[in-house]
Amino acid sequence: MAKKSDLLQGTLDLLVLKTLAQGQMHGYAIAQRILLTSRQVLEVQQGSLYPALHRLERKRLVTSEWREGDSGRMAKVYSLTKAGARQLKEELDEWSRYTNAIQWVLEA
Amino acid sequence: MRWPWKREETELDMELGYHVETLADAFEKQGMSRTEAMRKARKEFGGVDTIKDQCRDESRWNWLAQAGQDVRFGWRMMRKTPSITLAAIATLALGIGATTAILALADAVLWRTLPLPAPEQLTELFWTAKGRADGLVRGSSGSNFPDNGVQVADYFSFQGYRNMRERAAGKAQLAAHMGDTQVSASFAGQVSVSKLRPVSGNFFQTLQVQPFAGRLFTGRDDDAGAPFVIVTTHRFWENQLGADPAAVGKSILMNNRAYTIAGVLARGFTGIVPGDATDLYVTIWQSPEMLIADSFYRKAVNNPLNWVIQLMARRNAGVSQTELDAMLTPAFAASWAAPPKSPEQTPRLRLQDASHGLGALRRRFGDPVWTLLGLVTLVLLISCANIANLLLARAVEREKEAALRVSLGCGNGRLMRQFFTESLLLAMIGGVMGVGVAALLGRLMSTLLPRGADGLTLTVESDPRALLGTAAVALLAALLFGLYPAWRTARVDASPALKEGSGSAGTMSRSRWAPAKLLVLFQVALGVLLVTAAILYTGRLSYMVGKEAGFERGHALLFDIRPGEIGYRDERLRQFYFTLEERLASLAGVESVGLARTRPMRGGGYWDDVTKVGETKGVGSAIHHINPAFIGALGVPIVAGRSMTVQEARSGAKVAVISEDMAQKFGESPLGLHVKVSGDDYEVIGVARQARYSDLERPTPVAYLPFDYKRDSVTVLLRTTVPPLTAYGMVRNAMRDLDRDLPLVDVFTMEQQISKTLQRERLFAWLCGSFGVLALVLCAVGLYGLMSHTTARRTPEIGIRMALGASRGDVLSQVLWEGLRLAVAGLVLGVPLALYAADFAVKQRVLPEGPMPYWTLVAAISALAAAAFMAVLAPAMRASAVDPMQALRQG
Repeated sequence: MAKKSDLLQGTLDLLVLKTLAQGQMHGYAIAQRILLTSRQVLEVQQGSLYPALHRLERKRLVTSEWREGDSGRMAKVYSLTKAGARQLKEELDEWSRYTNAIQWVLEA
Repeated sequence: MRWPWKREETELDMELGYHVETLADAFEKQGMSRTEAMRKARKEFGGVDTIKDQCRDESRWNWLAQAGQDVRFGWRMMRKTPSITLAAIATLALGIGATTAILALADAVLWRTLPLPAPEQLTELFWTAKGRADGLVRGSSGSNFPDNGVQVADYFSFQGYRNMRERAAGKAQLAAHMGDTQVSASFAGQVSVSKLRPVSGNFFQTLQVQPFAGRLFTGRDDDAGAPFVIVTTHRFWENQLGADPAAVGKSILMNNRAYTIAGVLARGFTGIVPGDATDLYVTIWQSPEMLIADSFYRKAVNNPLNWVIQLMARRNAGVSQTELDAMLTPAFAASWAAPPKSPEQTPRLRLQDASHGLGALRRRFGDPVWTLLGLVTLVLLISCANIANLLLARAVEREKEAALRVSLGCGNGRLMRQFFTESLLLAMIGGVMGVGVAALLGRLMSTLLPRGADGLTLTVESDPRALLGTAAVALLAALLFGLYPAWRTARVDASPALKEGSGSAGTMSRSRWAPAKLLVLFQVALGVLLVTAAILYTGRLSYMVGKEAGFERGHALLFDIRPGEIGYRDERLRQFYFTLEERLASLAGVESVGLARTRPMRGGGYWDDVTKVGETKGVGSAIHHINPAFIGALGVPIVAGRSMTVQEARSGAKVAVISEDMAQKFGESPLGLHVKVSGDDYEVIGVARQARYSDLERPTPVAYLPFDYKRDSVTVLLRTTVPPLTAYGMVRNAMRDLDRDLPLVDVFTMEQQISKTLQRERLFAWLCGSFGVLALVLCAVGLYGLMSHTTARRTPEIGIRMALGASRGDVLSQVLWEGLRLAVAGLVLGVPLALYAADFAVKQRVLPEGPMPYWTLVAAISALAAAAFMAVLAPAMRASAVDPMQALRQG
């Protein structure tokens, strides 16, 4: 298995928002998606997703509802709100400015 | 319904459970056993409890859940130390209760504005003069009082009223009213003694009061020949008219004259003076005094020398008091009967804001109430110090617990909040009980306040504002005294506190207790002040009650009758009085029957100058117009000469008996001397011993002049051989035989009459006394709390001392000394404080002049010292009873 990286502080919220931008999904799916799309590099301790989700919900960036899941169990599914979408855009811009800046310094 | 935070908890369980199980499902598909899959899933997921906790932190209900926890925990903690908790709650309840009650009293007396539209437009009219306004005022009815070297009076002549009212037209409305008098009012067969205030027809329009039912007076009610109408207060309508919905239009028999009820005043209107006890209003022209043909008041209407009405004004919007003053001054001057003799004697108008009602009650009760406010503030301070002390004691106890919690990851904020919640809980319980205490005290004050006949009806109720004030005080106490210990604890560095263990408290605690010691010191010092005040004021009351009156106080009965009001006139009136004298004197148990124009010990009276013939400057003197038996009935010995004879009195001979001090002022032998009183020449035939006239406080020269048997009302003073109330039955029957339509008004024994003049002092003394006791108890509680806790913390140290050979006596005296040293320091600090305060009270004229009797200070100090000793003794005994082995093991 490839070496895994710890998640940078504060980026989890961004990842969750970005993942949810693709559609409504429950916590498990979000975790799997992040793992998958990061090509298994990012180590997200799956449980730590939940405080982040609840925090985003409290800030009304995501909303949730209860749906019957694949296995017949009830699952709580999250979706992005308008405010969440705005926040995502802002954070993405911020992120790219930040990474660009780092890149410039490293390549200087 | 389920609580949202409970639902959230189950949902959290479900959500996390779903994740773990789905993950396990995936692992199971990879070929693991279910158990293995679950284990791996949990491992991948991470610590469920930690995550749950983190999620809970994000919950919207988090603060509430935590508050709930805090309250539950706080409650447990409070129950763990019941003595501290109870002491703190009791302290809070007493402190807050006392403060709220006094605030309510102050509000009722000083601050409440009249419940009328735009009360700030109301103005009370006075005039001031440096000397007597000779040649301008001959007879007067109203009140005057000294203020910064000038005399302020509230009475005006009818001419003055008419002039000023006309001049002010368009800028302000002027209304007149007169002092209240007692009348007997009968409605549907029920007779009551009620208070009547005569007012001008425009009075209620000026005030802008609304009727509850019917109509109020208008200017047309002033017209001659207008039908007799009366307006009642809502209270009177409720109590005396039985809340009769059809009362308007029915008639009330007032002093045997029928008045039609025109209307009932709005419920909220309680009169124009705080504490106004007026029940009924009639127009001045229809008042009983005016209806007597040649009465003083009737004659005053067209006589600019008789000043008998009081005035108030409502300024139109935008008219300032100064502007009104400037308008009225010339109109006032134009009403004078003669030009003033000197600039000093020139009356000057003084306008005073009347938005809080007329100033009469404030003048009488203002200073005592301010003093009470000051004292109760001290009580509150002591209470607060107590709370701080007790909470601090508990915080120190709990330092270790707090340190443990901090080291287990409890945030400082959370810790602060925990402590804050606890004190808030305490404050709430204390606050609620404080409201109860305030209500009790309010009731006590209402019963102690002068009431009924000469009294006032003051509603000392904790209104919403006072309650809000209480809540604010309780909250403030919680904030201050909850947060300080919390802040201290939060600063605690966890490791030393933990290491300290329970054994090594000894010397370390000393510095830590410094604030608590200071608080106790401060408490005891204030305690000295309060207890001294309590002793001074209660002592003053008992001194005043027992003061030499100069006459016989026991076995005397007083009542008023007003034969003039039921039609007795001239010769018939004279004959009635003569029969009355003889009839009552013949009763068994009645020794003598005195008649007087003014009731003794009523707090007012009739005053005039008594001038030696040939001199210009007279002696300001109280005048008693009396029948011959009066001096004997009052029990004043004649020290020289003789009393007047029946013959002299009935023939209206111009003879006078004067009091000793007046005789001294005249210098020479007074017998045979001729004196002038309001223009008439009297021959002095006797000198009576000095006796009090209007109250026990001020001795005054008195001149006894013959009673004019044509007066329409009189005070009867009976000297009885049996207890006065036993004689009353017979007296009433005899009076009924004389005329069954004649009501007896204000029946009191002389002792009751005297105590009525002291009601203000009584209220004041009672409240001061209870504050003193309160201060004593609070100080003792504070000291007890402090010493219990220091000794409890030092139990191991005491164990060591005893193991090393200290006797129980040594320990006892050591602890005792430690506590008492503190108390003594406080006492020493308190003495100058008390002296200064007493001095201040004398300057404010709350206390009589003269040095403070030192025994009061000694008594206060002894009381406090005794209380302190008791408070320290219990913990000291406990410390000395420590079993050294146990104490050492504990450490």
